[in-house]
Amino acid sequence: MSTFNMEFIVKDLMNAFPNKILDYKFDGARSVFISIDSGILHDVIRYLKDRYDLKHIVTITGTDLLDSIELIYHLSPLDRRILVNVKVKVSRDNPHIPSVVSLLPGAVLYEREVHDLLGVVFDGHPSLERLILPDDWPEGVYPLRKDYKVEVK
Amino acid sequence: MTSVLAWSRIRSPWILYMCTGACNACDIEVLAALAPKYDVERFGILLKGSPRHADVLVVTGAVTRQVAPRLKRIYEQMPDPKFVIAAGTCATSGGVYWGCYNVLGGIDKVIPVTMYVPGCPVRPEAVIDAVAKLIAKLKSG
Amino acid sequence: MSYYQVPIGPQHPAIKEAFQFNFILDGEVIVDVKPRLGFVHRGIEKGMELRTWTQGIFLAERICGICNVPHTTCYCLAVEKIYGIEVPERAKYLRIIINELNRIHSHLLWIGVLGMELGFHTLFMYVWRDRERVMDLVEMISGNRVTPSMNCIGGVVYDITPEMIPVIRRNLDYLEERTKYYKSVLEEDPTIRARTVDVGVLSTGKALDLCAVGPVARASNVKSDVRFDDPYTLYDTINFNLITYDTCDVWGRAMVRVDETLESINAIRQALDKMRPGPINVKVKRIPPVGEANARVEAPRGELLHYVKSDGKETPYRAKMRTPTLANIPSLCEMLKGYYIADIPAIVASIDPCYCCTERVMFIDPNKGEKWTWSYDELRNYSRKYYGVGV
Repeated sequence: MSTFNMEFIVKDLMNAFPNKILDYKFDGARSVFISIDSGILHDVIRYLKDRYDLKHIVTITGTDLLDSIELIYHLSPLDRRILVNVKVKVSRDNPHIPSVVSLLPGAVLYEREVHDLLGVVFDGHPSLERLILPDDWPEGVYPLRKDYKVEVK
Repeated sequence: MTSVLAWSRIRSPWILYMCTGACNACDIEVLAALAPKYDVERFGILLKGSPRHADVLVVTGAVTRQVAPRLKRIYEQMPDPKFVIAAGTCATSGGVYWGCYNVLGGIDKVIPVTMYVPGCPVRPEAVIDAVAKLIAKLKSG
Repeated sequence: MSYYQVPIGPQHPAIKEAFQFNFILDGEVIVDVKPRLGFVHRGIEKGMELRTWTQGIFLAERICGICNVPHTTCYCLAVEKIYGIEVPERAKYLRIIINELNRIHSHLLWIGVLGMELGFHTLFMYVWRDRERVMDLVEMISGNRVTPSMNCIGGVVYDITPEMIPVIRRNLDYLEERTKYYKSVLEEDPTIRARTVDVGVLSTGKALDLCAVGPVARASNVKSDVRFDDPYTLYDTINFNLITYDTCDVWGRAMVRVDETLESINAIRQALDKMRPGPINVKVKRIPPVGEANARVEAPRGELLHYVKSDGKETPYRAKMRTPTLANIPSLCEMLKGYYIADIPAIVASIDPCYCCTERVMFIDPNKGEKWTWSYDELRNYSRKYYGVGV
């Protein structure tokens, strides 16, 4: 078990950011999903990084929920024993959110990937260029959005 | 002169190998064909690094959009007569990647193919068999 | 300063996939590196949304053919979490065995590739000959040399019969002896040491900041391995060591992999001893409940994450995979800085990329207005001549 207890982290976050922690759910013995208000993303990540050493970002998952785009920041402490998955929602029509690269340099490629596939703009990212889609892929077409349909022959 | 060339091609076909966006399983099986257990070199098959030296192009992978122009260019750089072996189910028809948006689905969408070798991944013996059949075809004219 | 552009074209003997790097040079020395991926991007995450939960296993298996077993294991673990089921004990040990066999094959493959990158073709031939033993074992258990498709949601589909066990043990003994020999080659051969010691250094601090995973991190003295940190499928009942080296260089990464191969051989032996007769899978309903789950496993290249979301339909709403090589790319860019062009093959190979290098290397010198290209073979020959270590 991690030196950091997941229930303790959740309660501590709820105290530090009253009314901004929207929901939480445990996923097995060593993982928890915490939904927060997108306005405090930077503050929460800084808090988790400074207090609990959650400096290892595993990845950033983007999901098109049709009425919004959900981003999950999968974080792990230095001993890598638990996964704290911080969820935020951004608007589908104007998907902007501050980049976390200044706090977690390892996030640099994950933000590019989400930008490429879902169109989310990470403000303050050093170079939000194409990462994996081909050069001739049309601008403004985001394959992981649900309105992008793949033809199955 | 033509018969000398034909003789050398039959005795020792030089292979150029290319991956066009595969999962790597076929690639390592083609490489395993070079390794001591299967050892294609005893048939005179040599793996070359440049398209200008090759008789046979062995291609794996389902051809992603990004790689397709390069596949065409490599094919065009090879001198005639040239032969293409599509190794693996993905190179033959796209294989398991149906419905994946960045995949064209089979190398015959880009270049003409002489021989299809199915398998997921293709077995090294199947690759050797394909080259042997190709040599037999060349011998018979 | 001249720009060094590395266009891709996976026409390379040691190829797996391909990516593009733009190197910014100052003379011979690399100052900065910018990655551009995408040549093997197939659209698998979207493809998973079109497939049923079981069909997804076969697509997940072909994300990477070399580390296909961790991918299916990770996907099945995540989906099993959504179902809320526990697989039988025998299935957990079988998963350990097949995962460790996969790790051995992957690490041996890598040692051969390292040999090729350094111009040491004999090492490649020897190692790949011995690696065939692992392929034979996997074929004996499952019928396929490379992709056993052993995992299913609820357990595994193939069992190890009592007749197979002595064959497995005999081959493990042979592999252990050969791996110890390769370890001594890596430790003592002066050519290999000259090209790998103090090359591609990634300090511990940088490895942590850039979130490096797997042998790349462990060779920079970062003690992290998902099998220890977040044990899955009964790894916590197996006694083996977490291998770290503190040399932070290409040599350290090679030694971590060789030592891990020896640990994997021991792990398989223990799993065979501990495994008891019993069922190897449980039946599950065709459609899982609504929910989402994560799973992490330690692939040969490092920490692998699968995230799966179900909305109660017969296909996943979202399936996300983060492969270890992507996590190591920022570290790769960092460890190339300050080294010479001639070191590129060894350093890139040292992260064990699940893609391979390049076909042609293009130099652009804006001051002279000149452009010239080299083939990858020419780059490798250049590296060898530069270090005067024979062709």
